[in-house]
Amino acid sequence: MAGLLEGKIAIVTGAAKGIGRAIAEAYATQGATVVVSDIDEGMAKETASRIPGASAIACDVRSEEQVKSLVDQTVAQHGGLQIMVPNAGIGRPVPLLGMDYDEWRAVTSVNLDGVFLCVRYGAPAIIASGGGAIVNVCSITAQAGTPLIAHYSAAKAGVMSLTQSAAVELRAQGVRVNAILPGFIETEMVTSVKGDFERLLGFPDGQFDQVIAMKQGRYGTPEEVAKMAVFLASDRSSFSNGSPFVLDGGCRASLL
Amino acid sequence: MAELDGKRALVTGGAQGLGKAITSLFVARGAKVVIADIDEAGAKLTADELGESVRAVRCDVTQSSDLEAAVQTTVDTFGGLDIMVNNAGIEIVKPLFHQTEEEFSRLMDINVKGVFLGMRAALAALPQPGGVIVNMASLAGLGGAPLFGSYCASKAGVVQLTRVAAVEMRPTGIRINAVCPAFIATAMVDRLKPIVTEVVGVPFDDLAALKQGRIGTPEEVAEMVAFLASDDASFCTGGTYVLDGGLQAAML
Repeated sequence: MAGLLEGKIAIVTGAAKGIGRAIAEAYATQGATVVVSDIDEGMAKETASRIPGASAIACDVRSEEQVKSLVDQTVAQHGGLQIMVPNAGIGRPVPLLGMDYDEWRAVTSVNLDGVFLCVRYGAPAIIASGGGAIVNVCSITAQAGTPLIAHYSAAKAGVMSLTQSAAVELRAQGVRVNAILPGFIETEMVTSVKGDFERLLGFPDGQFDQVIAMKQGRYGTPEEVAKMAVFLASDRSSFSNGSPFVLDGGCRASLL
Repeated sequence: MAELDGKRALVTGGAQGLGKAITSLFVARGAKVVIADIDEAGAKLTADELGESVRAVRCDVTQSSDLEAAVQTTVDTFGGLDIMVNNAGIEIVKPLFHQTEEEFSRLMDINVKGVFLGMRAALAALPQPGGVIVNMASLAGLGGAPLFGSYCASKAGVVQLTRVAAVEMRPTGIRINAVCPAFIATAMVDRLKPIVTEVVGVPFDDLAALKQGRIGTPEEVAEMVAFLASDDASFCTGGTYVLDGGLQAAML
């Protein structure tokens, strides 16, 4: 069976590890030529070397010049761009009243400004290539208050809103823009902050996992997010545009 | 991706429109399907058209015994039931307070109670873990739309039933999701076009083009259903998945 993304050129930011890497791998499996982009050039190269047909381009998504260059280099090397996945993101728990402005900007500049730059400079290349899809990696924290990650949640809510505006504005030019909203996924980003959450919330050790089990049954996996990312990048989702695609084991379905 | 090899499915309202497109795609992906429809002749025609992997039964989704029998037919014919698609539904398109009490009750019976009964009947046969239910809600279940009062209320009911059922059934490993399409090219939309055009004063196709870019196709809805029914969606439950070309995203 031919892959769902045969002949497509895709950029995935923050693709050296975690969800981004799983998306890059799944896209390549479906026949796409993938550009593995990450702020960590060494890790980007290492990840790309394990993915058939993939190449690495270092990019700090906070830099307008670097995002422009990422898109330009991709088009120059591969002849076009059909799929852009702004996935790069950071997060760490900080109490709101202990959050200085630098901390707020550190997170929102990557998680929101970075997505804006990828959409702003990725979309023209997609349009010039005959149309395609932008798949923003958002979060269910865009839809509900989340203690200790106000900056992260606000940025993700911004990404959802940007997804909607971009979807409507770019529709006539053949670019679909959707967002994936994962719940808590088993990645280094999540596992590395569990202890901090427990300490800051006054939870006993291990309670974070219990809360996750109660709210979403279990942690999701990067591979599960990647399958949704394939669906949204492919023609199989041709009538979906500007929508949130939640993947959270039922977390958001329940008030309790 | 989204392959359904060897899966056994039951699709209510499968004789035509979205249900037929879902059945057709399921078969193309390797599934066997029983169509349960109140239009028995239409269901048989569709089953004949789609080949050996499709059977038809008469089913009134307001009757629990009909749904239980349809589930049993699937189990008897294909050896089990893996995927239940509660798709049967009707519409009323007229100002809310012009709708009669009887019309309102009938619509709720089919669109909401039908989904409740369909899920309940399926749960007796779906494997734990691994069983999947996909409910056909609508964008009308997530937002209000003039002329669609009872329809909106019923589809919001489907969304909420989906959420609660998903969370309650999560420990069993059965996943339950809802699909929320906007206007799709089906006989239902053909019926409502002249009414909307007359009341709103704008040609329906122009309105659809403005709000959702174009009218979606049943095949596009079927793709979403097939994705959710497949193991690719293993972490999706209790979700509402929209296909609307951007309608909901837009303020104007």
